[in-house]
Amino acid sequence: MIAADVQLSESDETLMSRVRADELDQLTPLFERYHGPLFGFLCRLQGSAGNREVAQDLTQNVFERVLKYRASYQPGQPFRAWIYQLARHVHADHWQRQKPPAQDLDTVERTAAHGRAAQAQRQAHDQTQGLHEALALLPAPQREILVLHRFQGFDYAEIGQLLGCSAGAARVKAHRALEALRQVYFQ
Amino acid sequence: MNFAAENFSFNPECAALRPWLMDFAEGTLPAAETAQVVAHLPGCPACQRELAQLRTLFQAFDATPAELPPLALRENFLALLVREKAALGQQGSIHQVSSSDAASAGNDKFVPLRAVRGDQPLTPSTATYAPETTTAASRLRTQQWLRIAASVALVAVGAALGLLFRFTGRVGEAPLAAAPTATAQLASQLTAAAQRPATATDRLRLVEEVPTKLAPNDPAVQALIHTLDADPNPNVRLAACEALFRLRADPRVGPALVEALPLQTDPNVQITLIEMLVALREKRAVPQLEQLSRQPGALPAVRQQAASGLGQLI
Repeated sequence: MIAADVQLSESDETLMSRVRADELDQLTPLFERYHGPLFGFLCRLQGSAGNREVAQDLTQNVFERVLKYRASYQPGQPFRAWIYQLARHVHADHWQRQKPPAQDLDTVERTAAHGRAAQAQRQAHDQTQGLHEALALLPAPQREILVLHRFQGFDYAEIGQLLGCSAGAARVKAHRALEALRQVYFQ
Repeated sequence: MNFAAENFSFNPECAALRPWLMDFAEGTLPAAETAQVVAHLPGCPACQRELAQLRTLFQAFDATPAELPPLALRENFLALLVREKAALGQQGSIHQVSSSDAASAGNDKFVPLRAVRGDQPLTPSTATYAPETTTAASRLRTQQWLRIAASVALVAVGAALGLLFRFTGRVGEAPLAAAPTATAQLASQLTAAAQRPATATDRLRLVEEVPTKLAPNDPAVQALIHTLDADPNPNVRLAACEALFRLRADPRVGPALVEALPLQTDPNVQITLIEMLVALREKRAVPQLEQLSRQPGALPAVRQQAASGLGQLI
């Protein structure tokens, strides 16, 4: 039991370094730590409810890629950022194949129209449902940043790392996304 | 456009304070800016409304329950792991996936040999079986290294004793009586050996000849420290490490072992050093151990040893 406790307190990075060295069993504690959050992330990233099956497939896919590309993990690099980056790629690949919903010029109109619909529906739904609907109406990059910051607990520095920008830029983006969400939610 | 946005566009103060409202709502705005917002809010219904909306949004975020992953995800993952391990040609180590896991994974041929013990199916929780596997595996590896290191050291000790018997003929009483002169000579030999090309066996023999007790300030200690830090052969460094441990009463030994740790790259020497530092209760080694436990280039077993040593020291 003591050994198990010690092991459970092992850092993600240590465990992943062992997975990299072909100690594949070490992925199990990492799976236990991350499959829930990643599933939530991939559920919410899709922006529409009822896609749990897709999120399940994508989460499974993330761990397949962890095993497949374990040699690309640089020992010591933050594991959480690494696996979330994999998850983002898995998600992007999936929607590339599936024809993603349009995110161009008509987004604003769609947002406004759907926002009103969402507001009408919100009367009959709880707060959480309203939030999900509003999130679903945001452009994907804004939704992603809010999901990362508000649901997954990423700070701006970590978000910047994922998005390839500075922490300050990530903060500005997160604020813009929250403002857009507020507009949709209370429209 | 909503009313609030219209208001902001006409009120420069609102426009200036607007970016702060989110941080204000979360309580993360610095004091100076907070004071400005607090001063502004009572006279501005638009900002009050936006603040209330932001708070509602944050509450909604907080109230959202976590998405619970379906149980099938774990089963699929365990099946994936079994397949990958099979592909890797790995033998399941001490623990295997439990029979129920393997069966649900649809990989009957991988039902482990030890899936049943005394007619009771082993059903370890996923939270505990993998950790035990790792600990056991890495302990095994550490033990193997130590066994190799010990056998090398034993051979060296045997050779050194043989030489001592041959040349002195009175090993039992020699070291203490002749300590000052003999070890001074030893120190110079060690220093010379480090400077001149000498075989690793010769250097190992010299290191092993250092007695367990020396006079205070004996130069042999300094020579051993230098050997530990700089000798190109890991077995010689290991022997120097062990010789220094025997001389631990000397005040120079503790700090020297601490300083030697970051210089070492050989896992045997690293692990032996960590064990000695822990045995000496050398708290000055804590920063080095912390660094080593996170060092990307170190072997996992070394990092684990460092982490475990750290746990015993702090």
